Formats: sequence, C-alpha cells, structure tokens
Amino acid sequence: MTGLLARPAGDLGSVAGVTSDREPTPQGAEDPDDAEIGRRFAAGEEQALALAYERWAGQVHGMAVRAFGPGPDAEDVTQQTFISAWTGRARYRPDQGPLPAWLSGVCRHKIADTWAKRDRMRREAEAAATQAQAAPAGGTTPAVDTAIADRLLVLEELDRLGQPQRGIIELAFFADLTHAQISERTGIPLGTVKSHIRRTLERLRTRLEVDGAALPA
Amino acid sequence: MPHCQPEQLALAALGEPLPADAAAHLVSCGDCRSEVRSLQRAVDAVDVPEFAASVAPVAPPASVWAGIAAATGVSPAPRSEASVVTAPPPPVAVAPAAPVPDDPPQDPPAGGQVLPFRSRRPRVLMTAAAALVGAVVGAGAVAVLNGSDDAQPLTSVALDQLAEAPASGRAEVVVRGDGSRALEVELDAPALDGEYYEIWLIEPNVVEMVPLGVVRPGAQSFELPTGLDLGQYPIVDVSVEPLDGDPTHSGVSVARGVLES
Ligand SMILES: [Zn+2]
Repeated sequence: MTGLLARPAGDLGSVAGVTSDREPTPQGAEDPDDAEIGRRFAAGEEQALALAYERWAGQVHGMAVRAFGPGPDAEDVTQQTFISAWTGRARYRPDQGPLPAWLSGVCRHKIADTWAKRDRMRREAEAAATQAQAAPAGGTTPAVDTAIADRLLVLEELDRLGQPQRGIIELAFFADLTHAQISERTGIPLGTVKSHIRRTLERLRTRLEVDGAALPA
Repeated sequence: MPHCQPEQLALAALGEPLPADAAAHLVSCGDCRSEVRSLQRAVDAVDVPEFAASVAPVAPPASVWAGIAAATGVSPAPRSEASVVTAPPPPVAVAPAAPVPDDPPQDPPAGGQVLPFRSRRPRVLMTAAAALVGAVVGAGAVAVLNGSDDAQPLTSVALDQLAEAPASGRAEVVVRGDGSRALEVELDAPALDGEYYEIWLIEPNVVEMVPLGVVRPGAQSFELPTGLDLGQYPIVDVSVEPLDGDPTHSGVSVARGVLES
C-alpha cells in the first residue's frame, strides 16, 4: 500500500502534453531520482533541499501564482513552503509518498494561512472603521469566515491521515479523480477505495463538527 | 427502494454521479440527502481551484531561493532556473483526463502568466451529462447570463427523453427586459391523468434541487430565482409527480438536459 504514490519517477509527468518534459538522464550522484531526493531530504542532507527546489519550485510557485498572482505574496508562499518543508522535514516520511506531493500539501497550507491572515486583517479593518464611526451596527461579524476556518481544519486533518487513506482522498480532492480512476491508478481494489473515502469523509466531518463553527441550520 | 449505501453517499458528496437507481432514491430521500450534505462540508472546504494539483509551473525569481538559503542556512544552491521550470508536476497532479494545456510546457509561461486550470465541477458535470444523456450548451452563454443585463436569449438545451414515457422538449434561458431571468420551456409530452409534470433545476450530484413549478405540455415560462447560480444547478429535469401533496421530487424523471457550467 505504501506504493500508492511512490510511483516510478518516469511515470510522474504523464499529464497529457507534459510527457516529454524531462530528458532521460543517467541517474548518478548528480541526478538522483525523485525517491532518492526524498530520502536525502528526510535525512537532512542540505544538497537535497537544493535539488528539491531545482525540481519542484516551479510547481510550488505555479500554485502560489495561481492563488495570488505574480508578486510578493506568491513569492512569500513559495519561500515559506520550502522553509517549512525543510525545518519540518521530520514529518516527511519517504515511504509514505513522494516529496513533491508532500510539498504541494505544505503549499496548500501556506495559501490557506495567507487567506486566513487576509481575512483577519480585513475584519479588523472593518471593526476599526465601525468603531470610528460609532455606528450601532446590529450584526457583529464572526471571528473568522467559516469557509476559511473549515479549509484550515480539513488540511490539518489530512496531515494526520496515514496511507493509503491520504493519497486516496487527495486524488479525489485535488486531482479530481473518480473512485474508479483512483482504483485504476493505485491498483487498490474499487471496494477498498470506496470504503476509505467513506471513512475519511466521516473523519473529516467529525473534525469539522467538533472544532469548526456551527453552521446555520 | 432501500437507502443508498454509505459509500455511495460519500461518492455523491464528492460530486460523483450515482447509478440510476441510487440517484433516483437520493432525489426523493431527505435522510440520504442530508447525510450527503453533512459529508460534503469537508469536500466543499477544499474545493477551490487554487488547490488543484494540476498547475502550470512558474519559475520563481532568484530572490526566493536567496530567502530560503538565508532562513535555513543551507549552502548548496540549485543549479539553474531553467531546470526549475521544466520539472514534472508532483505525482498527485498527474491526471490522465486532464486537458492538454494550450501552451506546451516546454514554453514556460513568462512573467507569471498561468495556463487555464480546470476546476472540479466540470468533470463531474461532463460525467453526469454522459450518464444522463443531457445535451450540453456552451459555457460562455451561462457565464454571460450570470452577470449581464442584456435582454436576449442566452442558451438553450434539449430535454431528452429519459424513461419509457415519450417526453422531450427544449429549455431556453433568457434575460428579460427588467433584468430578471427566465427559463422558457417547451415540453412535448402526453397529458397526464391524476399526475402532473414538474420542472426542476438540480445539482450535478443530485442532492440539492430547485423546483420551478408545474409544467404542462406546450410552451411556458418560469422566472428563475434572483441570484440562483445556474452553474451550481445545471440539470434541467422534468418529473412526473403524483397528486399526493408531497412537495419533494417523486424520483420519477422523464426528460432532462444539462447546462454546461
Ligand atoms: Zn434514503
């Protein structure tokens, strides 16, 4: 099961139209494969951070730019992603999945954190404006937007999932695959994929019910 | 029929279409629908295009690495910016059904320009459309519809026969002179006795639906609720309802079309 996301490197770039983007290179000390970089990264080898950046900073920054447009916010997200990944490398388990997938997960956290920070600042500014005008505003704004808070909780709970549960739900959430496609992709039987999805969604529901805001009826 | 299987309800929460019998049950069962809704909260929370794994790479400026090196004290440096851009996407990004990007990845977007990305819903929609034999109309038309005051017909969709009953027709979305939107329906179906036709707008996963009203064979117009997002309720559905006083969908659909989001 640990092979779920640990596909051979040659299989990783098989998005339509992105098949020929990397020249086959001899994989010596200069060009370790993805799994090798993951292992060395987890072991704290400095060269592995540079290699990971070389190989995946484009993807991470692509996500950041998609969220915030080109500029300081996106650059900050990319930078924070690699810094957090490096300082938190003890949480990365090479046998649980490839490094680029983990980096994407860290990047989602940074994006969600930035949204939450912006939301907080906006609310504080609004509250200040309301006070300045001494307006008897009837409704008080909630502390944080429910969707933004839910998002942070779900990402946090995903981090706690083991494999193959995490890989399965991430394929459903972020790669937009159906359960049949996930089964085909991972080789995990259809029924198993379905029951993992069910249990994971239940787990996420519980987390939101316990720690999230109550939803309006 | 019995309640849907728990696994099916989880798949519905993810927006996957269900087999016809389960979908029909879901349409008419409040318990199953509320279960789907409760599971869907987590799905919705992270269902934002910004999180999609498939993304066009963008090379960060050199200052980004400089900041990382300063914060971590790591001395080896990445070799070149070029290799950064041409790295393959992370594995979770691998999506066999992903559309081919407009630009080849060998030609990395300059200045942070990003390629169009797909959102989750259209996939669901297309699958639903295939399963439900709906005709699909252009996305642009609906997009125009959502934010425009132009008084003109925007889009139409064929309502295809679903069941044994020979019911079919067309539905057309129009914006009227006062800015309100309406669904003009032309229904070609036999008159009913002791039952009636009702028209609905339904979510792709058949959980939430908006009843528009009773529809008779022939041509009629239904005002669309203000603010209703047709992208969220793209299925135009005609059901047969018994005269039982139950306002929920009977589960018996006779014609359908799907507006593309
Ligand atoms: Zn039920």
